[in-house]
Parts: sequence; C-alpha cells; structure tokens
Amino acid sequence: METTTLIPTGPPATRPRRSPARLVRAAAWIALAVLLAALPLYIDTAWLKAGQYMMIGAVGAIGLTLLTGQAGQLSLAHAFFLLVGATAYTVLAGPTDEERVIGLGLDPGLALMGAVLISALVGLAFAPVAGRLRGIYLGVASLSLVFLGLYFGQSLDSLTGGTSTGRTPATFELFGFPFSNGGPEIEVLGVPIRQAERIWYLFLVLTAIAFVLARGAVRGRVGRSWRAVRDNEAAATAMGVGVARAKAGAFAVSSAFAGLAGVMTVLWFDILKPDESEYGTYGINVSIAFLAMVIIGGLGSVPGAVVGALIVNGLPQALTLFSGDLGWFGETGGGGLTPILVSSFIYGAAIVVVVLFEPGGLAAIGRRLTGLFRARPREITREETS
Amino acid sequence: MSAPTLREDLVELQVDSVTLAFGGLRALDDVSFTVEPGTVHALIGPNGAGKSSCFNVISGVYRATSGRVRFGDTELTGQRPHRLAKLGIGRAFQNTALSPHSTVLDNVMLGRHALTTGGFLSCGLRLPWTVRQERRHTERAVEICEFLGLGKVLHAPVAALSYGAAKRTDVARALAIEPTLLLLDEPAAGMNAVETAEMAATIRDLRDALGISILLVEHDMNLVMGIADRVTVLDFGKRIADGTPSEVQADPEVVKAYLGSGSEDA
Repeated sequence: METTTLIPTGPPATRPRRSPARLVRAAAWIALAVLLAALPLYIDTAWLKAGQYMMIGAVGAIGLTLLTGQAGQLSLAHAFFLLVGATAYTVLAGPTDEERVIGLGLDPGLALMGAVLISALVGLAFAPVAGRLRGIYLGVASLSLVFLGLYFGQSLDSLTGGTSTGRTPATFELFGFPFSNGGPEIEVLGVPIRQAERIWYLFLVLTAIAFVLARGAVRGRVGRSWRAVRDNEAAATAMGVGVARAKAGAFAVSSAFAGLAGVMTVLWFDILKPDESEYGTYGINVSIAFLAMVIIGGLGSVPGAVVGALIVNGLPQALTLFSGDLGWFGETGGGGLTPILVSSFIYGAAIVVVVLFEPGGLAAIGRRLTGLFRARPREITREETS
Repeated sequence: MSAPTLREDLVELQVDSVTLAFGGLRALDDVSFTVEPGTVHALIGPNGAGKSSCFNVISGVYRATSGRVRFGDTELTGQRPHRLAKLGIGRAFQNTALSPHSTVLDNVMLGRHALTTGGFLSCGLRLPWTVRQERRHTERAVEICEFLGLGKVLHAPVAALSYGAAKRTDVARALAIEPTLLLLDEPAAGMNAVETAEMAATIRDLRDALGISILLVEHDMNLVMGIADRVTVLDFGKRIADGTPSEVQADPEVVKAYLGSGSEDA
C-alpha cells in the first residue's frame, strides 16, 4: 500500500519513549486506580452516591468535549440524549408483563449496550441538521431537541412511565450478578459490598472505558479528522476527510456517551422520571451543566472534561453533604442559600474566570504545571537527543 | 528540462475547455492546458485573471459550467472533493489552512488520512493494527517533515511557528498524502525575498527528489520564471499564452496584460 520512499530516509524517526516521565505517569495511573477501587471500603454510602454522580457527569462531559471541543460543534442537546439513553435502557430491560408500560425483557447488560447504540443512532439522525449549521446556530437548533425530549417524555408515557409516577428501571445485572442489595453476600475487609458499592464499581468501569476510548480516538486518526473539520473544512476535504461524515460521526459518538450517561442516571436515581418542565434531570440546566464542565476543563481535553465534571456535578453533592456540619445553608425553597444555588454561583464564576484568563481551561493549566517538571520543552528534546 | 527521476505512476492533468460562469460573469472562458508528468507547471496572470477559480475547479471546490478536467484516465469533474486525495492529488493552501493548536506532526499526519483506515472504536481501543499503522505512518510523516526542514519543530504547535515554517508545514501535509500531482496555491504569498528563495529551492527539490508533477498558482514572477518548466497565462478568464518561461515572457499579449497598453488595437 505504501508508495516508494523517494524522500530520503532520515535517522530512525519515532522512538518509544521509555523515559522516567513515562514510568511516573504509569505509576500515577495505577495509584489512582487503586485509590478509586479502595474508596468504597472507607467512605459511606452518601459519599459513594456523590462520587457516582460525578462519574455520570464525567461520561457525559467526555462525550461533549469530543463533539464541541474536538469536532467544533456546539451542542446543547446533551440532556436530550441522556433521556434517550435512560428511556432506551428502561424499555429494553423492562419486564414484558407490565400493563401500563412497554418492556422488552432483555438482559440488562445487552439493554445497556442497546441503549448506547440507540442514542448513537438518534444522534446520527440529527446529523443532517448538525452538518448544515455551525457555532451558535447549531447550539440553538440542538436546544430544540431538549424541548422535543420534554414533550415526548411526557406524552409517550408507555415508554417513560409519565411525569407523575415515572417507572422503575430493571436492576442492572451482569452474568446473573445483580448490582443491588440482593444476590450473593460479599464482604471485603469487613465492609459489605452492597448496592452502593456495586454501582460504584460498575460506574468506575464504565467511566474508565469511556475515558480510554475517547483518549485513544482523540490521539488517533479519528481525532485528527475531527480537529481538521473544526479548524478548516476546505483543508480537511483536500486531505481526504469526508466533512459531512466526520461531523455525523462525532455527533453519533457524542450522543452514545450521553446515552451511557443517561443509563447511569437512571440506575443512580433508580427511577426513570421525565421532567415536568424544561428544568430538571434531562432539561436545559443539565445541557448547560455539561457545557460548563467542558469549558472549565478545557474544550477538547478528555481529562479536563472529567475534572470539570468533578467540579460541576461534585460541588452541589459535596456541599449538601457538608451542609449539616456547616449549618449556614438555608432550607430548599426557603429563599436562602441552598447548596445547589451556591455551587451554581461557583461554577458560573469559574466559567467567567476561565473564559477571561485561561481559555484553555484546567487542561491548559495542567499542561503548564507538568511542563514545569519536564526538563526541556518537548519540541527540542528530540533533536538534541538524536 | 524535465525531472530527472520520472516515475511510471505519473499521469498528466488535462484541463479541457473549462468554462466557469457565475451568472453572467465568466470567471473562466474555454481554458485548456496540460500539466505534463513530472514537470513544474505555473498558472499565472494579473489579479482577477481566474487563477484561483481554475485551481478550485481542478480541486473540486467549484463545478465547471462546461468542459472537463481529467487526471490520467480519471474524470475529476464531478468527483467529490475529498476523493482527490485518494487519487494522489495533494493541495497546499494560500493561507496555510492548518490547525493552529495542533503540533506540526499532528497536522502533517492528517495528510495520511486517505492512506489509513480505522474508525472511532478501532482507534479508541487502540487495536494492535491501528497502533502499528499509526507508528508506520508517523515515521513517514517525520521523514517528510525533516525533508522540509521541520525536524526541529515536530512537536511545536503550528501557532508558534514562523510564517515560512508554517507554509512548509502546509506543503509537508500535502506531501503526506503521497501525491503524484501537487497543487500549490501561491506558495510564496506574503513571504519576504529570503523566504521566497527558500520556497523556490524547496519546490525544485521536491520535483527533483520525488519526480512528481507540480501545478502552482503564483504572483511572484521571479519565482515562476526560475522554477517552472511550463507557464500558462490567464487574463480575464481566458488563456492568453502557454509555453516555456522564455516564450511566455516574450509574448506581447502577456506583456500587455501585465503592464497595460496605451493603444486599444494592440
């Protein structure tokens, strides 16, 4: 397939970097994995739930940073695809014998994959619109999907269970092992591994898969074609990238991530309940929260999206858990400062600060920090060592 | 003055009576010329002569109103533009259409898109064959960069490069598709005299080392006359001359188009 090399061959080009920095990085990843795996043994259920909620945010934000940061398509439809994924899982895995709602009785593992696939296909269906609009126009057009979701969530109550009662999703099971309080009793170091712990590990694995996939894609051929389309469509075309296809692909991938986050949402709440207004679990506020995550984290950065999710989804949870101890929050609905309100102020301010002072977000700050520990700038090391 | 290493896989590019009309305006009027395999062919003309339009017809951005463009046996008119890379036609841009925040190497690797395969899942999972493919093609991209004197800035973001280096990155990216025909849109635009001379040397090197055909649109007469094997001159959408640089320079029509003429009958 390669044509003859007429350009003179230089010294062996790319070398596997077995530098100490690489080992340090590997060790850091292992340490993080061990820490996250050990956490359920040391923190209580409420904090585990908070952590799970951050992981939901992370999966969704990774999807959005691929679409908006890498492929340059602003989307406010993310919450809609969460709803699609959540509904698809509940319907696919739901019991077949219920009168009020439709269920297909699939294995929950299959239902999860099916829900991700359906979300991707729905995203693909929106691709013709996404391919024709850009920037803020696409943002506004995609926002319409959130309202569509609001309408269908309410009207298709045989699928969603309706706004008044919702419907309970099937317990997630993998090869017969339930992620609930049932099934075999497991105990590690005297800590029973029950629903909260099991879901923690499930979410941890799902988040890790999402992270690894996204990172690989960003660094490979697909990510390059996305960035090319984002930066200059004419150049992308001249290099053989089918622009419409690349855009549609990015939208489908992003929707699949959002769909997975939707499945996680429904497992987290243990109920699928469509919103009554545009402000809710699958509403505009959620779309904007995801956008906040990727902007704070740095558009296009996968680790940045994860850290952004820790901040945006984590703050309200953490503040709520601390509020009992702190005692300076008002009651919800009492007109005082609620944890959610305070965290909204904080991440709102964070966006302003990022946009004004570091448009690259936390990712750029992180790069600068790691740069301090690197002996020489990367661009000259190669030449000097060869 | 043809290239020393003439490759067998080269084919000629034939522009055959191409007319491009925007409403009543004829940007190109019955233009024909042929880029012979392994030559440097320049397309010149005063501002608004239709050079860029002609370039855009060849690269599929515009669709010709009539006439056709053929690359060997392949009809280019009507091809979807992104297919051209696969046919071996590389293009460098006048305004260096690069990703400013990506590294030089990453930009050049984009040129390998049509030569590689792999979608989201195979890239995301880093399947062994995608990793091997990536490594192999990265090696080649590095070679191309080094050939163009970009070896020291491989991992620098394009935004940090000098203008000349960015231009060369753009050319490197076009070369990364392993073209048999390279389209250069004003390679010396906005360059100072030193950079222009460097670019001329690079283009000559490319032709000599790779033996590929090069079609360039250019303003800078010194550059064109120094490196082109053949020159086509356009004026007001019409071809007014076609020949070797010395023939074209002596052509009264060309002199008139560039310098203007006092009398109307000439």
